[in-house]
Amino acid sequence: MHILIVDDQAANRVMLKGLIERFGHNVSSAANGMQALELFSHKGADIVLLDVMMPVMDGLTTAKHLKQLSGEIHLPVLFITALDDQKTLLECLDAGGDDFISTPPEPIVLQAKLNAHARVRELSFKLKEKNEVLAYHSNRMEREQNVVSHMLSNALLENELRFEFLQTYLSPATEFNGDLVLSKGGPLGNYYIFVGDFTGHGLAPATGALPVAQTFFDLAERGLSVATMVKEFNRRLVKLLPDDMFCAAFVAELSAGGDRLSYWNGGIPDALFIDNNGEVTNRLPSEHLALGILPPDEFNSSLSHCFIERGQRLVAYTDGVIEMANTDGNRLKESGFENKLKQFGHQDQFDDLVSSLESFQQGTEQSDDISLVVVNCVPTGLPVKQDDHSIIHLPFELKVSLTEHNIKGEDPVTRLVDSLSHLEGIKAHKTTLYLLLAEAFNNILEHNLLRLNSDIKEEDEGFERYYSERERRLESLEDIEVAIDVNYQPVDSVICFGIRSNGENGYPADEFSPVLDEEKMHGRGMQLIKNFSRYYEWKDEGQCLYIEYDLNLPSV
Amino acid sequence: MSVSREFSNDGKQLIIAIQGKFDFSLVQEFRQAYSHIGDSQPTVIIDLRETEYLDSSALGMLLNMRKSLGSSVKGIQLINAKPDVRRILDISRFDKMFTIA
Repeated sequence: MHILIVDDQAANRVMLKGLIERFGHNVSSAANGMQALELFSHKGADIVLLDVMMPVMDGLTTAKHLKQLSGEIHLPVLFITALDDQKTLLECLDAGGDDFISTPPEPIVLQAKLNAHARVRELSFKLKEKNEVLAYHSNRMEREQNVVSHMLSNALLENELRFEFLQTYLSPATEFNGDLVLSKGGPLGNYYIFVGDFTGHGLAPATGALPVAQTFFDLAERGLSVATMVKEFNRRLVKLLPDDMFCAAFVAELSAGGDRLSYWNGGIPDALFIDNNGEVTNRLPSEHLALGILPPDEFNSSLSHCFIERGQRLVAYTDGVIEMANTDGNRLKESGFENKLKQFGHQDQFDDLVSSLESFQQGTEQSDDISLVVVNCVPTGLPVKQDDHSIIHLPFELKVSLTEHNIKGEDPVTRLVDSLSHLEGIKAHKTTLYLLLAEAFNNILEHNLLRLNSDIKEEDEGFERYYSERERRLESLEDIEVAIDVNYQPVDSVICFGIRSNGENGYPADEFSPVLDEEKMHGRGMQLIKNFSRYYEWKDEGQCLYIEYDLNLPSV
Repeated sequence: MSVSREFSNDGKQLIIAIQGKFDFSLVQEFRQAYSHIGDSQPTVIIDLRETEYLDSSALGMLLNMRKSLGSSVKGIQLINAKPDVRRILDISRFDKMFTIA
């Protein structure tokens, strides 16, 4: 320890110095306050012994300055004084004095005091160090929370909560919401909603929300089923989350017409259908374990489906709603919530319902995240996704010559249409182009080459027989050739196909009856070609089927 | 897997989903998907959301299913057809034989 002795009496200084050095401490001396401050600012000190009465700057003033210079670190200041003047002692304490030593000092007492104050100073150093570490971690945590918060808000950019048919009340208990509500329209005008509740609050569940949100938006965009969605959520969460964390979830898809709901409920309170009076008409209970618990091969993605009568609304909520408590400690419970639904049953009363929930728990601290969504089951009015309808401006021609090897094993029509779909503006028509080409190709193959009789299809089990016969004849077929010519002229945006074979006989024209019997199993193919093509014609005595398709025709 | 079959939780609906191409190459698989439906008269739902291609053989298979199931089911619904697929069903007047939703 470095001890600074400040006393205007040289004899006192020498006496104290000698004594303290014997205790094993380093000692500096100053004759007045001014000198002491100068010395302190150069060499510092761990403990200061300070005379009260000194010329130039007295002990009280010096003590104040020393304390200031020392800053956050505790600097023990011990006044050297006869302990008989109460007033001076008080002033010493006011000036920041920590203790007193009498003159002449009792060596053992002095040693004890110095040791005690040295320990306090040591603690002060340790405290400062710990505070710095704490401040560092706190800053770092804040920074990391900001990063997660930023990522989360970016991940939720695609979240579409502003639909006319959707009402939500989301109230997290802390900055990071352990509940997750996701909502997005699908490509068919259908609509997806996800209401989830992660175990715990704060950062950890918020992190779990990232992969779920990304998967949800991706799969909703592709229009996949809720079963596919929950399987994927679960697969990811099982992999990511620690064993004690999981996510209760209600996931539902509403059809574009608003008349069909398929849903999966794992661990969320019964979702409800209510009518316009707020009366519960149907309950959609939890039938599964929450997401993130079962390994993929044990996970059950079975959905429930219901048909919805007009005017019904879907209510889904997390347990924060029914577990909210009032000042008496009474919880709202399902019954209380359903009473409120009845009280504020009309669609226009959602804000009143929310106010009523808020006033129920007024005066208490919200202990869990609260999420409540109400979906009005009406036709969604959401757009049906359209492929790019721009039209290709380059003329092209394509010749495909197929032998029996290609025909037997390679599914040539699908491959051809898949390839054509890569051309600008063709993708939007691929379903129809596939239909035309598949009908033409199968007609040529089955009738001109395989000589199959479609009447077989009308017999019992005829359908299967027809196709196993097709398989059998195809296997034994040799030296056959089917040529598909594709020709496109941008002038009239018409794409032309010619499909011909080296089969001996052409298509028996009389087999095609323009009047289609709806119940009949065959004859449908040519009818479809007639409906979807701009023009078609059997050429070369039935050896070649020629089809024109207009890309300008609306594909819908 | 291009044909998947799953009963709803309450067993009242059998959902058959067809992915990618729906044609005679699925003739066995599709028939198996609607076999063994039990006595509970479920509604059969054909989910076409992932069906990209279909041709007349698929239409024939649907009619075949309808004939073979007869009154053992409550009804057959074709759902989630993409616009182009829907147009093929409409032109073939399948709305007369199935519920298209």
